Amino acid sequence: MFECQEISAEHKDLIHDVSYDYYGDRIATCSSDQYVKVWDRNKEGKWTLTSSWKAHSASVWKVTWANPEFGQVLATCSFDRTVAVWEETVGDTPGPGKRGQRHWVRRTNLVDSRTSVTDVKFGPKAQGLQLATCSAEGIIRIYEAPDVMNLSQWTLQHEVQCKLPLSCLSWNPSPNRSHPSMIAVGSDEPHTTPGGKVFIYEYSENSRKWNKLETLNITEPVHDVAFSPNLGRVFHILGVATNNVRIINLTPVEDSQLSGLTKLEIETAAQFDDHNSTVWRVCWNVNGAVLCSTGDDGCARMFRILSKTSWKPEGVLKGEGNQVPTAVEAAHGATQHIPQGSPVGSIASQTARYIKLGSISQPSREPWY
Amino acid sequence: MTTFSVAQEGPLNALALNSTNTQVVIGGRNVFKVYQIEEDKFREICNLRTLKHLNLNFSCNDITWSPSDDHYVATAATNGHVCVWNLTKMGRAMQEQDYQDHKRTVNKVKFHATEPFKLISGSQDGTMRYFDIRMKNAVSVFYSNTESVRDVQFCPHNSYVFSAVSENGSVQLWDVRKPDKSQHQFTAHSGPVFACDWHPEATWLATASRDKTIKVWEMTGRPTLEYTIHTIASIGYVKWRPSHKYQLASCALVIDCSINIWDVRRPYIPFASFNEHRDIASGVAWRGDPNIFLSSGRDNVLYQHSFSDAQKPASKANPQGITLNTKGEVVYSKKVNNTITSTNSSSQNSLSKAVGLMRKISTSQPIDAFHLAWSRTYNFNPNNVEEQESSIFIKLAKSYILHGRSVSELCDHNSAVATQFGKNDIAVTWKIVKTMYGEEFVQNSMNNPKQEEGSCSALEIPDEQKSKGAETPAAQFSGGDEETENEDQVDNAFPNYLNVRNGCLPRGDFFFGENELDVELDGAPIFMDYYQYGYRMNPTPSEQIDWTVPNEAFPIRHEILDRSPPPEQFPDHLHTINLREEQSVQVKVDDQLPGMLVNVKQCSKPSWDPSPIVIQTLHHYATLGDIQTVACILLVLGESRKYLAGLSENLQEHWLLGYIELLSKYRLWNISNQVIKLAWLPSVSQLNQMSTTMNTNCGKCMKPLQRVGWLCDRCHTSENALCSICHQVVRGLYVWCQGCSHGGHIGHLKQWLAQKRVCPTGCGHMCEYIDN
Repeated sequence: MFECQEISAEHKDLIHDVSYDYYGDRIATCSSDQYVKVWDRNKEGKWTLTSSWKAHSASVWKVTWANPEFGQVLATCSFDRTVAVWEETVGDTPGPGKRGQRHWVRRTNLVDSRTSVTDVKFGPKAQGLQLATCSAEGIIRIYEAPDVMNLSQWTLQHEVQCKLPLSCLSWNPSPNRSHPSMIAVGSDEPHTTPGGKVFIYEYSENSRKWNKLETLNITEPVHDVAFSPNLGRVFHILGVATNNVRIINLTPVEDSQLSGLTKLEIETAAQFDDHNSTVWRVCWNVNGAVLCSTGDDGCARMFRILSKTSWKPEGVLKGEGNQVPTAVEAAHGATQHIPQGSPVGSIASQTARYIKLGSISQPSREPWY
Repeated sequence: MTTFSVAQEGPLNALALNSTNTQVVIGGRNVFKVYQIEEDKFREICNLRTLKHLNLNFSCNDITWSPSDDHYVATAATNGHVCVWNLTKMGRAMQEQDYQDHKRTVNKVKFHATEPFKLISGSQDGTMRYFDIRMKNAVSVFYSNTESVRDVQFCPHNSYVFSAVSENGSVQLWDVRKPDKSQHQFTAHSGPVFACDWHPEATWLATASRDKTIKVWEMTGRPTLEYTIHTIASIGYVKWRPSHKYQLASCALVIDCSINIWDVRRPYIPFASFNEHRDIASGVAWRGDPNIFLSSGRDNVLYQHSFSDAQKPASKANPQGITLNTKGEVVYSKKVNNTITSTNSSSQNSLSKAVGLMRKISTSQPIDAFHLAWSRTYNFNPNNVEEQESSIFIKLAKSYILHGRSVSELCDHNSAVATQFGKNDIAVTWKIVKTMYGEEFVQNSMNNPKQEEGSCSALEIPDEQKSKGAETPAAQFSGGDEETENEDQVDNAFPNYLNVRNGCLPRGDFFFGENELDVELDGAPIFMDYYQYGYRMNPTPSEQIDWTVPNEAFPIRHEILDRSPPPEQFPDHLHTINLREEQSVQVKVDDQLPGMLVNVKQCSKPSWDPSPIVIQTLHHYATLGDIQTVACILLVLGESRKYLAGLSENLQEHWLLGYIELLSKYRLWNISNQVIKLAWLPSVSQLNQMSTTMNTNCGKCMKPLQRVGWLCDRCHTSENALCSICHQVVRGLYVWCQGCSHGGHIGHLKQWLAQKRVCPTGCGHMCEYIDN
């Protein structure tokens, strides 16, 4: 079971993105109300607002954290056609007993796009400080901060033209040196077009260009794509949120060294229609074994890998705070180390927003880190 | 009801519809035309610029069409003239009036909505003039006392009142009868105000400014701000949408070429957006129907737009967000579905609370959920923390031993650890690794032709240990003890090792043993088992050899040769074991004869290599995301990794980096560093040799210490780098305050700062020690 705690984010409009930082200790939220908020846990473990600022002059679509190696850095993208990079600074007033006030400073504003910037993501740490953005005009832009200590200087390294308006972007996080940098983008173009709406691009060291490697044959509007963390797989897994959840294996094929371009073998590992409605988001757990998706049915659903080509639904998180174990999960319960329990229908009441389901760990137990 | 357009010779500055919304007049620097609006196209009726003697009167900033008399059109010319045109006449006679009152460009002209022949103009010269088009001169002049007037609009609720906005950010209300003084004046924006528009029903005035906002003012009494819309660019034009109380259209002056329709109650995202223009739009005119409007653009095009072709940015906006962290916690935020919450009484309160944020909800308004968009955010925390994958990961990471002992020992230990935390499949994998790469086996069949002795000694360990004590096994395993482990550790480790064996050997030993092995030995008194084994083995060495060799060596090999189930199927223990038993029986039957005949030869030159299967196993765990098992097995194998032929260095590096990455996500720095240290690939082992320089300052003169050691270039002494408390040289961990550069032994300073805040040197700095 999960216990559910509602965070009253108090954004004045829709929240479009939430994002944990690298360690999972902080949350950033962004909303159409043009604000970005950063949350930290207080001593009781409750999320409290640390910072809130007007980041853009239009809806903020996405917020994403950089690797902490580069500092406490966020990037946001907005309907106002800009991308901003923010850094948290601590004011220079370290008096006794009180810390300096923290605040977020805009380090740069990237204004190359002529239309809404729909997604922004930091590249894998190994490649330094890179930022990829995609926009409604169908252009992927790759920026780089040549000096990681200077977040105000970014150079536009690449502009890659796609034909369709883009809605989402994901870096392949694989640290394997035989896997070149790879980006997947998706388009939410509403009309069914031949060809597909997810494109895989790969950076070629030889030509110093991003080349389109593949087009995935998904014809429905795509709202989110997410590469699984690749800690040691020889193939990549891409989660796609469209009218359903799709899990796609991309296996690099070895024998094309001559052409300089890797080839991918594409295979749909699983497809889940459980949401029975538009699926908006997909995200991965830390080791890439569980995919979590959210849809218009108001549920977050989890799927677990069993083998390269087999996945199973693992659980459902309802907004109101209970996890409903699926039949499959119940059947496999004995071998799974996943939370178990009968669904508890919790009532979202005004006074008791914090609902405890079962006991939590004893305070005497050692913390995890 | 379709979108269509007509291109012109030059940019369009303005457009105006006639009273019946059937014709449109457009004007620009080089354009001055009247079009009939047909079902799906514009038909040109009249081009006023075909006349001879064109002058600047034909270049207009703004156009207005008389609502009471379809013959009259007035233009604001760039040369400061206000011209009135009679469309029924021809040639020069068309220009009925040419008022030359303004000194500078006229920005705006507007016919009065109800009074025929009445016209107002606003100019860059800071004045407004009221005309009766039947008269040669202006009726009255209004001095705004500002530099320039950008827009003037008659109030639809009071025929004498008009509003004027100017570049200094102010809004003025005038009574046409009182030209001497404005009735109201207030500063509306922090930048030039470019446009204003009266609401057709409410007493609201919308103003648009370069400060990237549109503001809606309640104008009864003292003007109060009702709504503010933040836009991405300066707004040059604003127009309320008919029969939609809360909606208005806006055009930007720069950057944004789209025409946005806003719901003032949701001031963040346009309700609809029309992106046909390739340059900024200069004007909007509703065709009576709230779903159709015309627009003129600087891209030379006149458009008719239909709402059926509108873009709805909000519908494309992603209404949900989700994120997972390393602890398996989930934060999920989703759009609240209003139709559901309104029926759900328990959520009613929160809904109304949210609604409270959106001010002034009209209850009579038909259900229109656009402006009611809001999200709820949930944080799901797994409440059986101890059973979480992440906490098991951490416990395993902390408990696994990766070096310092023999492979067998490490495997046994790690297997026991895995069992302890409920990871039985992983425990079995460790067992198998032990079986294949443990010293016993390697000695037996990989290298050493004298496998009998090896196997005997291995199997005899427990027995010998019972009789002789710890010397023999310790000696035997010293091969793995290359690290600086001292005797204590070895001594401690040994009983540990024994315990491990106790816990797990029966199951593992099954591979060596016979078919009838009892699975239930698990928890039984182990030494008894060993007695049994020993008893069986020891007294008759000759028999033992006969018994051991074929049964030990063969079933293992053939079992795997015969594609024994890879470890992923292990959760089902009993089944697997049964299968094994069957297989081994079968194998035995098959191979008994050759086994008996050529048994030594068979053993000394193994006919198969377990590596592919081990690699396959590692791949399997990697696929499942369990990089911990993979990396730890690789680390434990140590030199035996050489048997894993076909495992590319890139992949090994990938696995190690994957594990390191995961460890650092859990802040398990020590373990991560241990992995780096144990890594056999230079690219990984060098990871902890980068960025190792720490610079500190001299405690006395604050000059950065740049030499090796503590010597300050200026003070020529290293005295100031001694521990501030004990005044000894610090070897090992040195902690210092970045504020005052004083430091010393971490223990000393921790102790000191636990009680005091001031630096121990007495420098007066308030040091702070944050212990994570």
